Amino acid sequence: MADDNMTLESYLAQGGVLTSPANASPRYRAEVMKIMATFVDSELAGAAGFADVVNKAPGLRERIAASKIVLEKTRHAETVLELMGEFGTNTARYATSHPWAARLARDATADTRRSDHDMRLSVFNYPLSGWVDAVTMNLVMGLAVGVQLGDLRKLSYQPLAEKFAEIAPVEANHVKLASEGLAALVEAGDADAIRLSLDYWRARVAPIFGSEDPTRFKSLAALGLRHRSSAEMRADWDAALGDALAGLGLG
Amino acid sequence: MARFHDLKVTDIKKTIRDAVVVSLQPAPESADAFGFRQGQYLTFRREFDGQELRRSYSICAGLDDGILQVGIKKVDGGAFSTFANDTLKIGDHLSAMPPMGSFTSDLDPGARRNYLGFAGGSGITPVLSIMKTVLKCEPGSSFTLVYANRGVNSIMFREEIEDLKNSYMGRLTVIHVLESDAQDIELFTGRVTEEKCAALFAHWIDLSTISAAFICGPEPMMLGIARALEAHGLEKSQIKFELFASSQPGRAKRVETAGQAASDTGKTRISITLDGATRSLESDRNTSILDAALANALDAPFACKAGVCSTCRCKVIEGDVEMAANHALEDYEVSRGYVLSCQAYPLTDTIVVDYDQ
Repeated sequence: MADDNMTLESYLAQGGVLTSPANASPRYRAEVMKIMATFVDSELAGAAGFADVVNKAPGLRERIAASKIVLEKTRHAETVLELMGEFGTNTARYATSHPWAARLARDATADTRRSDHDMRLSVFNYPLSGWVDAVTMNLVMGLAVGVQLGDLRKLSYQPLAEKFAEIAPVEANHVKLASEGLAALVEAGDADAIRLSLDYWRARVAPIFGSEDPTRFKSLAALGLRHRSSAEMRADWDAALGDALAGLGLG
Repeated sequence: MARFHDLKVTDIKKTIRDAVVVSLQPAPESADAFGFRQGQYLTFRREFDGQELRRSYSICAGLDDGILQVGIKKVDGGAFSTFANDTLKIGDHLSAMPPMGSFTSDLDPGARRNYLGFAGGSGITPVLSIMKTVLKCEPGSSFTLVYANRGVNSIMFREEIEDLKNSYMGRLTVIHVLESDAQDIELFTGRVTEEKCAALFAHWIDLSTISAAFICGPEPMMLGIARALEAHGLEKSQIKFELFASSQPGRAKRVETAGQAASDTGKTRISITLDGATRSLESDRNTSILDAALANALDAPFACKAGVCSTCRCKVIEGDVEMAANHALEDYEVSRGYVLSCQAYPLTDTIVVDYDQ
């Protein structure tokens, strides 16, 4: 079947999927690496931030929930980092190559810039401030993660798409834990504090969907690595957050 | 990072004129590392004229066969496949990484599932491994194989597949589709296209009973089959692909060594090729190649900036650079001229790098 010639680009543009780094072009390899690094760094930074929160939990059930979130986000980082290893990453060094708990000051201007040292989403540059704030952030960001994973699980690198499909329901459960936590906090009379945190985190989560750069979107879409635009995903997140808050009486 | 291990060649058999099945045995201390899942592949490395080549070949043995075997079809001009077919002999040693890949499925001995496999040419190797394993380990499950080849003479594992049909009477159905040899049923002649699949699903294969489909072959065939499967109601998550490694280049080019003079000005001109376009820019010795590219609004890839992840890899075509750290590239990549651009600082007045190689 030697005359079955087709370029990688047209194969991907027609919805083809890849299963091994050996078949990837340099640009494809680089873009998949960036997606993986962004995910791994964000999960590790998120887990590191949440680890401190365990000690601020008001009760045993909340401590367990926070610990579980730390454990599962770290595990998600590990499973995607394994795939990066197949692309040549030194996984043992990678896991300890950055201070994942490092943050800017709480009052630092909201900015979409990434840190110079890792690929975490900019939202993870900002520190959590107490239990109420942590639970609120977990809901606001968790819903955004859900929307992003909805797109990522369709990407054309099948081993990674499968990992994201496994990860999505576990991350969705973190949103459920956040929602239950917030319901308890509303009941305890913390609604005003939640609203303050909502303002803080909304402004910092909204930019993570990226800027509307049509050229960039087109090039990623041609590689089968993006399916929906930033604006579409941001709108989905906004709607999901609106629903969640209305359900909690915070709308 | 996965390590290479030594494997001893215990048997070599021709399956057709230009393809061999190579049996391999790991050393006792690395036997555990070579436990595989059905459908995975091994990556081999070997030096040809001083250049290291790496090639991946799928395991064709089943999980319970108690043996590690790969199928290697000779590719025109392919250094490794020609070596394996013409020169390799019993008792030789090969260097390979432990099994990798996710073209596989979870087994359930109690399951009663119907699997569908599509293979084009040597794409049969991982499909055969999955088929043998499922038939043996899931006694209630059945398998339908659609196997595309040019003609009868180019069917790899033809006899072995016939034997399987007899051993698992009624549980294995094989449809051979031959491109140039006429068959009794016209549908089984020609190429496996989207239209051909639609006809197969109408008369021969009941897709509503299929729990998972595995496709391995050339790109256009895989796309056509996947489109047909989805059009007939199979979910994306039920379809597994393994891309044929046909597009891999046969032989790597030699590294061009290009030493040249350095002045003391500290300035350097860097020419950067990225996504098919080349830009020339001025930078200095204290700025990494990556930072120079980013400072000039080039979309150069990077992630960790610590020499660990290898995202920013590029190839130095001309000039010399020095890497401050390298935890990701292997010696053979460095000897070919690859560097981690986040760690690479210019040593010469002119540098030419290429991110597209």
